[in-house]
Amino acid sequence: MPEPIPAAPVGSVPAAVPAAVPAAVPAAVPASPAPSRIVLVGYGPVGARLVEELLPVVRAGLATLTVVGAESADAYNRVLIADYAVGRSDRDTLEVTDTDAARAAGVDIRTGEIVTRINRVRRTVTLGDGTDLGYDRLVLATGARANVPTLDGVTRLRRTLMRPPTDAGALDTADAPLPRGVTALRDLDDAATVLETVRSGGRIVVLGAGVLGMEFALAAAQAGSDVCVVYHADIPLNRNLDRGGGTVLARSARRAGVTMVSHARAESILFTVDADGHDRFDALICADGKQIPGDLLVLSCGIGARTELAGLAGLSVSTGILVDESLRSWTDPAVFAIGDCAHVAPRPAPGASTATPAGGPTGLIGPGWRQADWLAARFAAEIEHDARAGAVTSPATAAADVAAPADFGPALAVQAHGVVMLKAEGIDVVAAGDTSADPWDIDPAHPDDGHGAAEPVHGRDCAAAPGATAPRLGVSQWSDPEHGRYVKMVTRGGILTGFICVGMPRTGAELALLFERGSELPADRSLLLRYDGPDVDPAGGGDAFAPDATVCWCNGVTVGAITASAAAGNTDVACIGSATRAGTGCGGCRGRIGEVLERFALTNSTEIVG
Amino acid sequence: MTAPLASAARPGVDTHCPYCALQCAMTLTPTYAEIGMQSGGAGAGTDTAARPGLTVAGRAFPTNRGGLCKKGWTSAELLTSPERILTPMLRQPDGGFAPASWAEALDLVAERLAGSRARHGADSVGVFGGGGLTNEKAYQLGKFTRVALGSSRIDYNGRFCMSSAAAAGNRAFGVDRGLPFPVEDLDAADTILILGSNVAQTMPPFIGHLEGARSAGGLIVVDPRRSATARLTEDGGGMHVQPTPGSDLVLLLGLTNIVITERLIDTDYLERRTVGFEALRRSVSRWWPERVQQLTGVPVPQLRELARRLAAGSGTYILTGRGVEQHVDGTDTATAAINLALVLGLVGTRHSGYGTLTGQGNGQGGREHGQKCDQLPGYRKITDPAARAHVAGVWGVTPESLPGAGVPAIELLDSLGVSGGVRCLLVHGSNVVVSAPDSNRVRAGLEALDFLVVCDFFFSETARFADVVLPVTQWAEEDGTMTSLEGRVIRRRTAIGAPDGVRSELWIFQELARRLGSAGTFSADPAEVFDELCLASAGGLADYSGLSYGLLDTGEAAYWPYPVGSTGTPRLFLDRFAHADGRARIVAVHARVTDAPAQRDGTVTLITGRLLEHYQSGAQTRRVPELHQAQPQARLQVHPATAARLGLVDGGEVEVGNMQGTVTCVAEVTGGIRPDTVFLPFHFPGAQRANLLTLGATDPVSGMPEFKRTTVRVRALVRTPGSGPAGPVSVPSIRTDAHA
Repeated sequence: MPEPIPAAPVGSVPAAVPAAVPAAVPAAVPASPAPSRIVLVGYGPVGARLVEELLPVVRAGLATLTVVGAESADAYNRVLIADYAVGRSDRDTLEVTDTDAARAAGVDIRTGEIVTRINRVRRTVTLGDGTDLGYDRLVLATGARANVPTLDGVTRLRRTLMRPPTDAGALDTADAPLPRGVTALRDLDDAATVLETVRSGGRIVVLGAGVLGMEFALAAAQAGSDVCVVYHADIPLNRNLDRGGGTVLARSARRAGVTMVSHARAESILFTVDADGHDRFDALICADGKQIPGDLLVLSCGIGARTELAGLAGLSVSTGILVDESLRSWTDPAVFAIGDCAHVAPRPAPGASTATPAGGPTGLIGPGWRQADWLAARFAAEIEHDARAGAVTSPATAAADVAAPADFGPALAVQAHGVVMLKAEGIDVVAAGDTSADPWDIDPAHPDDGHGAAEPVHGRDCAAAPGATAPRLGVSQWSDPEHGRYVKMVTRGGILTGFICVGMPRTGAELALLFERGSELPADRSLLLRYDGPDVDPAGGGDAFAPDATVCWCNGVTVGAITASAAAGNTDVACIGSATRAGTGCGGCRGRIGEVLERFALTNSTEIVG
Repeated sequence: MTAPLASAARPGVDTHCPYCALQCAMTLTPTYAEIGMQSGGAGAGTDTAARPGLTVAGRAFPTNRGGLCKKGWTSAELLTSPERILTPMLRQPDGGFAPASWAEALDLVAERLAGSRARHGADSVGVFGGGGLTNEKAYQLGKFTRVALGSSRIDYNGRFCMSSAAAAGNRAFGVDRGLPFPVEDLDAADTILILGSNVAQTMPPFIGHLEGARSAGGLIVVDPRRSATARLTEDGGGMHVQPTPGSDLVLLLGLTNIVITERLIDTDYLERRTVGFEALRRSVSRWWPERVQQLTGVPVPQLRELARRLAAGSGTYILTGRGVEQHVDGTDTATAAINLALVLGLVGTRHSGYGTLTGQGNGQGGREHGQKCDQLPGYRKITDPAARAHVAGVWGVTPESLPGAGVPAIELLDSLGVSGGVRCLLVHGSNVVVSAPDSNRVRAGLEALDFLVVCDFFFSETARFADVVLPVTQWAEEDGTMTSLEGRVIRRRTAIGAPDGVRSELWIFQELARRLGSAGTFSADPAEVFDELCLASAGGLADYSGLSYGLLDTGEAAYWPYPVGSTGTPRLFLDRFAHADGRARIVAVHARVTDAPAQRDGTVTLITGRLLEHYQSGAQTRRVPELHQAQPQARLQVHPATAARLGLVDGGEVEVGNMQGTVTCVAEVTGGIRPDTVFLPFHFPGAQRANLLTLGATDPVSGMPEFKRTTVRVRALVRTPGSGPAGPVSVPSIRTDAHA
C-alpha cells in the first residue's frame, strides 16, 4: 500500500527536473555576474513567507530561488488546521501564498519533492530522485513533525542520522505508518482523516492536552463530536498554565462538552480488525487499566523539529538546527534555518562550554514569520550590495568578516517567549512568560519585603529601587472558578514578565499587549480586571444627571447649565434651546433635556414642600 | 425637525456653515441690534459697531435638519472680530507690520514673484492651498499656479486630511467621492461601523443619522478613546471597540479573515462586481483572530461579534475617518476597510456602503479641481496628455505650457528655502505652522523663505511669518460653491458686504495675474469662475459640467458627477465602478508588524484630534470668545492609572516630549482613554502645538503624514514659583508674536 503512492510524485518529478536544472547549473561558470543561488528546503507557511519576501530580488534577476517542498500541496497555514479538521473553515482559507505568482516571478517551486542530502563541501543538495542542485545560500525551513508517543500497538520509528527518509510521501512515517484510526494532526492528510470521523459522528479520543489538543477537542465538541481528552498531568496546558488557570480551563472544557481525563498515562491501544484484515483503533488503555474507547485516536503530544537532514550533513543540532542571531548555522555560514526547525541561540565563543544551549523552537508561527522577513531583508541587502559592488560576496566570505552584518540593517529582535493563546470560541485562555511564582513567595532578591509589600506606598513601581540588586517580584491573582475566570500577573520591578488569563477576553488582550511591549502595569492591578466587568464604561459611567454630565454633545451643554437655565425661568425644552442651544444640533438629546427639566421641577417642588 | 431657532419671519440669506464638511444649512439675517444669543463674548463686535452683525439660524436641510453645533451658532462673531485684518499689511525692517494700499501690496508681491521666477525658475514659487476654500477659489488657485506662475509647486492641507482615503478610493473604485451616497441613506441602516472618527464632536448634527443604527443596537465605534461618539454606543446603542493606536490595519485584516473563514462573504457579489478576491483571501489568512487580538488588544469574542454583526445587518455601512487614515499606512488601512465592505457586498447597493468622512468644509471639492500637485480640474491627472489638452483648451493656453506634476505637501514644505526648492510661498486658507506635522521644521522652512504671502482674515500663526498679509473675505461675505462630504454641490451666498479694505481671493488672483502679464484670463466673478470650472471639469471623474449657479439656486440636490444633460449622481456605483471594466479592485494589503515601545517611565503613544469647540488650527474658533472660554487651552487626556504612575493631577501642568519637540500644557485625567495612550487636540498655538511632536514620515502612496501614532514621554511639570505660568493662552493680538 505505501509503495504506489510515494512512487507517483517521485516518478513524476524527474520529467520536470531537466528543465529546471540548467538554471541552477551555471556553477561551472565562475560566478561574478551570475545571480546568487538560493535554495529553500521546506514550503510551509514560513518558507512561503521567505519566498514572497525574496520576490523582488528574484524579479530583478539578482538571485535564483529554488524551493523544495515535501508536501504536494502549496504552502498552507498549519495554525488553522484544527478548524479545518472539524469542517469549520474551508480548505482555501488555509492558503497563505500565491504560488503561481511566485512561479511567474521566476521562482522554481518543486512540491512533493524531498531533499535527501546536503553536500556542504560542494554546496549542493541532492533531491529524492538523485538530482543535485547547487546553492550559494541554503535555507532550511523543514518545520516540525508531530511526536508519536510510546504506545503498545504503535510502531515507533528509529530516526537515524545514517538513514534519512527518501521519499516525500513518507517523510515522517517512513515504512512504519500509524495504524488505522490513529492519526496526528499536523498536515492536510491528517485533517482529512479527522474530518471524516467528525462528519460521521464518530467518537474521538485526543491524547495530550497541549494547545493544539485542546483547540482541536473544543472545536470538535463545538462541531458536535463526542470528544475525550486524555492527559497525563493534573491540568490541561500544563506547560503554560498554573493549577488555578488549568483547573478553570478544564472546567470550562467540560462545560463545553469535552470529557477531560486527567492523570492518565496512556499505555497501549486495543484494535479491532477491519474487513480487509487491517487493524483499526478501538480503545486507548491507560496504566491504571482504564479503557477509553473511540473511533479515532488523535495524537497531540507535541512536535519535534525535523533536523535529520541537517544532522546528517554535520550541522550542529540541539532541539532544532542551531543558528545564531542572524539565523546562520553555527557550523556552516552558507546554511540558514528558520521556523519550527530552527533553534536560535548565540554561537558559543571558541573554547566555551558546549552545554546544551538554552531556548529552542517556539512552535509559534509569529516568530517564524519574523525570521523569514528578517532573513529575506538581509539576503536582499547583501545581494544588492554585491550587485552594486560588482563582486560576489558569498556567504562564506561574508561570514569571515564578522563585522559585515552591521551594514545590512538592524539585527533580528530576539523573541523572548511568545504569547500562547488558545483558539477556541467561548473559552479565552492567554498566557505568557514565567508564571511559576506564587503571590506569597518570598522574593529571593528582596527577602526582607515580607509578604505582599512589593509595592511602594505611592504606587510607583521602581525598577531600580535604591540598593536593590534585582527588580522586585510581584504576583497578583484573581480566582473566580464559579464563573470560569482566573488571572495571574507576575511582574519584575512593575514590568509584566508573565501572566495567565482565563475567561476574561479583554483583560487577556490587554495583558498580552503589555507583556509583548515590556510595559509597566498600573499600580492598581485590578484596573485590568475591570475591562471585563459589566460596567466597562471607563469614562465614569457615573450619574447621568451629575452637574458636569454632558447632555447636548453638539453644543457642549451640561446638566448644570440646563438646571441653571431652568432656575432662571426656562422650563421647557424650547426655551432651554433658545437660552443654552441645548438640543439645537442633531436634536437627539431633547428627550434627555426633558428628563433633566422634570428632575429639576421635582427637586424644586420637594424643596418647597420640605 | 426644524430647530426652534430657525426663524422664517425675517428675510435672510440661505447659505451653509463656514466650518466642517457637513456644511450645515443656515440662514443669515443682517441686524444692527445686539442679539441676546451672541452676547456671550463680552465686548465682541464693539470695535466695529458701525458694521451690522448677522444672526445665525439653522435651516432645514437633509444633512443637519435645522440643527447647528456650537461652532455654527457662533460663526458670525468672526465677521465683526476686532482682530480682523482690514488692510494689506507689509513686514517692516523692524520686524513689525504696517498697513499698505492694495496697489502697493500687490505690486510688491508681483515684483517679488516675477523676480524669483526670473532668477530661480518658475518652481521657486510655491502655493499652499486649503480644503476650506470654495470650489471657485480652489480651481482658480490651481489655474493661477500653473498658468500665471507657471509653477508645478502646489499642494494643500487636504494632504493632511483626505489624501489616504482618496488614494484608496481611487485605487478600489476608480473614483474618490467621500460618501458615494446621500448622507440620509445612513438613517435606514441598522449597522454602522465608524473607524477613527469622532463625529459627535467634529460634526455633531451628523449623529442624527446614526439614530437608526443606535436604536437597532448596531452602532460600532472603533477608537482608542471613549470619545463622545464612542459613548453613543452605550445603553444598548452598539459596541465600542478600543484598539491600541495604530493597529487599525491589523484589526480590519482580522475582521476580513473572520468574514471569509465563517463564510459570511457575498460570493455572488464578488464574482459579479470585483476582481482580486483570491489574493485578498490569501493575504488575510495570516490574520486569524487570536493573532489580531495580540496586536490590537481587541478580544477575539468582540472581533467575532463585530464581524458577524456586519454580515447580519440588513443595511450596513462602514465609515472611516482620520483616526485610521492619518498614518504612514493610512492608504492601506482605508483600502482594508474598503476590502471588508467589498467582501460583504456592501458597496454600490441602495442599502449599504463604504464612505470616508471628509473633514474640512470643502475637503471634497477642494480635492477635485487642481489644488493637488498632480491634478487638473475634474479630478484629472496632470500627467495625462488628454487631460492636459482639454484643460489647456479651456484655459486658452497650450498644453506644453502647463507644468508637470509637483510634489505633495510634506515634500513641498520640506523644500522651503532649500537650494533648488521653493523660495517664495503663497498660503491660502491654511495655517501650516499649527496644522502641519513636525512644526518646528515647518517654522524653520517659513523663516528660510525669500518671500511669504499669506491670505487670511486674521494674523494666524503662519501669517506672523509673512512678508505680506492680504486680508480676504469671510464666508458670509462671498458667493461660491462648496462640495459637501456627500459629494453634493451647494451654494455659499453673500449675506453681508465685506469691510472696505478686504478683498476676495478671486480678485487677488485677477490682479496678480494681470501684473504678472499672464496669458490666461482670471475672472473675479464667482459665477463666471464656476462656469469655467464646469467646462474644465467636463469629461473628468468629478464632472460638474451640467451645473450652474442658476441650477443650484433652484435648490436641486446636485451630486457629482453631473455631466451636461444628466440629473447628477446621488449614488455612485449602483451599476458599475469607475474602472474600465466596471469592477471594483480588491487590493490585498499587508500590515507590517512593528514593535511598539515599552510603556515605561512615562513613554506612551500620542494621538491627536479635534474638540467640539474648535476647528482645525483654531485660527478662527480661538477668536470666538464663547468657544475660547469653553476650551481655552490644550489639555492632554491621560488615563487615571497612567496619571497616578507619573504623578499627574487633573489640571496640573505637564510636559510632553520626544525627538521632534516639546509641548507644555495641562493634564486632563479621564478614564475615557486607553492607559497606553494620551490625546492632545491640535487646535492650539505656541508651546501647545500638538504638531511639535508629530513626525514628517509619510504614507508612500498618499503622502499623508503620520499624525496618530507618535511615541512621546510625559512628565509632570513642577514650576518653581516665579518662573512664570504657562497657563491659559490669551487670545493673541495682532502685534503679539506668540513665538517670541
